[in-house]
Amino acid sequence: MDFDLTPEQALLRDSVAALGKRYGHRYYVEQAKAGKNTDELWREAGDLGYLGVNLPVEYGGGGGGITELAIVCEELAAAGCALLLLVVSPAIAGTIIAKHGTADQRAQYLPGLADGSRRICFAITEPDAGSNFHKLSTVARQDEATGDYLITGRKVYISGVDACDDVLLVARVSKGDRLEPALFVLPTDTPGFSYRPIEMEILSPERQFELVLDDVRVPASALVGGSTEAGLPALFAGLNPERITVAAMASGTGRYALGKASAYTAQRTVWGRPIGAHQGVAHQLAHAHIQVELARLAVSKAASLYDSGRDLEAGVAANTAKYAAAEASALAVDTAIQVHGGNGMTTEYGVATLLGGSRAARIAPVSREMILNYVSQHVLRQPKSY
Amino acid sequence: MKIVVLVKQVPDSGAERSLRADDNTVDRATANNVINEMDEYAIEEALRLKEAHGGEVVILTMGPDKATDSIRKALSMGPDAAVHVVDDALHGSCAIATSKVLAAALAQQNADLIIAGAESTDGRVQVLPHMLAERLGIAALTGARKLTVDGSTLTVERQTDEGYEVVTASTPAVVSVWDTINDPRYPSFKGIMAAKKKPVQTLSLADLGVAASEVGLDGATSAVLEHGKRPPRTGGNTVEDSGDGGVKLVEFLATEKFV
Ligand SMILES: Cc1cc2nc3c(=O)[nH]c(=O)nc-3n(C[C@H](O)[C@H](O)[C@H](O)COP(=O)(O)OP(=O)(O)OC[C@H]3O[C@@H](n4cnc5c(N)ncnc54)[C@H](O)[C@@H]3O)c2cc1C
Repeated sequence: MDFDLTPEQALLRDSVAALGKRYGHRYYVEQAKAGKNTDELWREAGDLGYLGVNLPVEYGGGGGGITELAIVCEELAAAGCALLLLVVSPAIAGTIIAKHGTADQRAQYLPGLADGSRRICFAITEPDAGSNFHKLSTVARQDEATGDYLITGRKVYISGVDACDDVLLVARVSKGDRLEPALFVLPTDTPGFSYRPIEMEILSPERQFELVLDDVRVPASALVGGSTEAGLPALFAGLNPERITVAAMASGTGRYALGKASAYTAQRTVWGRPIGAHQGVAHQLAHAHIQVELARLAVSKAASLYDSGRDLEAGVAANTAKYAAAEASALAVDTAIQVHGGNGMTTEYGVATLLGGSRAARIAPVSREMILNYVSQHVLRQPKSY
Repeated sequence: MKIVVLVKQVPDSGAERSLRADDNTVDRATANNVINEMDEYAIEEALRLKEAHGGEVVILTMGPDKATDSIRKALSMGPDAAVHVVDDALHGSCAIATSKVLAAALAQQNADLIIAGAESTDGRVQVLPHMLAERLGIAALTGARKLTVDGSTLTVERQTDEGYEVVTASTPAVVSVWDTINDPRYPSFKGIMAAKKKPVQTLSLADLGVAASEVGLDGATSAVLEHGKRPPRTGGNTVEDSGDGGVKLVEFLATEKFV
């Protein structure tokens, strides 16, 4: 068992960390408060090839794996710049198109995803389907005359639509008397496709949107993989990368929070010595640190299993990592706020700013309850509960 | 144009650093070792010149086996190849001995231009570029904040306390640079992956025809006799204002030569 990063991975980690540090959490917060995005950081990371580390070399990617993309996610988050679109664009959309896209789709989308010049958001969640994608009511019906599809439906909480060129959309297509899930990729400016921001209590330059699709006409070539059969396997292909990168990002946020906290407690003096000298303070930090480190181990394991092609084991490991990292990150942020006292709730000290984002990681992209369901059923062999 | 960039591995200046208890040399074993910060500016400058004028950039490092990490990082920024002078006998070498070894390695390179950082964050003596120029019999343009190349003419703005001087020389020459000269790039992921395939030549003292007795702790012309930790910061002076506070402040500033 090898816990060491390769020299290349270590260099990637240090390089991304250095880039992230130059922007920093203050930049992230300022952009969010001004209603702006993080285009400068995104572009610079894209030019350096960090956003496409996991995509195939033949399409301009780095030829690495999810391990490398997880490093990028974690280090930017550890610098206080967690970028949700990394999870959506290169991890989910990139993996799905690389593995299940047609040759034309790979050629059309991957080079832009690889250098970050194209961003694709991912839309599955619906108001009435929630975590149950068998109940999706967004439906695509084929126009017999042209072969085009007409898509109608509604999606909620879709991240980064305003910053994206295209959307990877999960809909259902009628197959005989049944509706089968299918994936479409279409430009966000397609006629009939509209979106509006949802007010969220998360301080982030990346916002969530409600999508409305009203008879949106797309050519048959928009169907990912070229057939409806390709839909389900393509959808599943995105799940592990999504969970692993989200977990890496949450771990990074945990590291950032604890870094701020421990620097603060080592020097803040109220009773004649630094507050970190009190075990009541230090142990909280040590406990949170251990939780974050355990989560990072789980992320490394999941990424390693995934990259070596052991998909089934990777599924359990990715869910475990997602669960552990979201919990650890929420704990780390909460602890960091607590040890900062009143300063913890200010914008200036840059920890309460993480509250919404770290809390959301326990809900999205898959809630802790759905992970517990998964583990109960698939690992512990309990009867299906729903 | 062939450019050789001198790259030294040093303990991270942003972290706790110390000297070894046994021989008073820099403690590299416990430190987080990184590329000397100023050398990244030298690498960047060389890469920009190569991008503008064509040619080749070679990294030259003298250091222990572990310096391979820094060489790899340097190569990931874009240079073409590296030379690593590594020999157990080099441990504890003084600046004069170091310049002898590096000059011997440079003599094999036929570089048009040698670029170095103006100082290393561990030694901080700023003498190496001058010593190398002297040994190689070429010009030294040191402390540059700007460098332009026009054919075989080099022009630098040499940073001084008062402003800058414009100095010119023709190639070959040694140029040392400050961190005001550019913004070093980050290694791209492609650069990182390409670095492991780039040639790194390792040379021993024997390969360079330098005798072990001329270098290392035994051959050193200077030695650190003892060292101690910097004393903790003291509380400073509190000026009580009983009508003459302003005068006392000015007196303090005057004795400390601030005014
Ligand atoms: C910041 C943020 C960004 C997001 N970005 C995207 C995006 O880019 N694209 C996208 O498609 N979606 C996105 N989402 C949506 C997110 O994936 C969903 O909110 C999440 O999957 C939960 O679904 P839901 O909100 O419908 O909750 P519901 O399914 O209604 O669940 C509500 C609660 O009930 C629990 N629950 C539900 N079913 C069960 C069960 N069977 N057993 C036990 N407990 C259960 C849940 O765990 C949860 O606690 C985002 C959400 C947030 C908050």
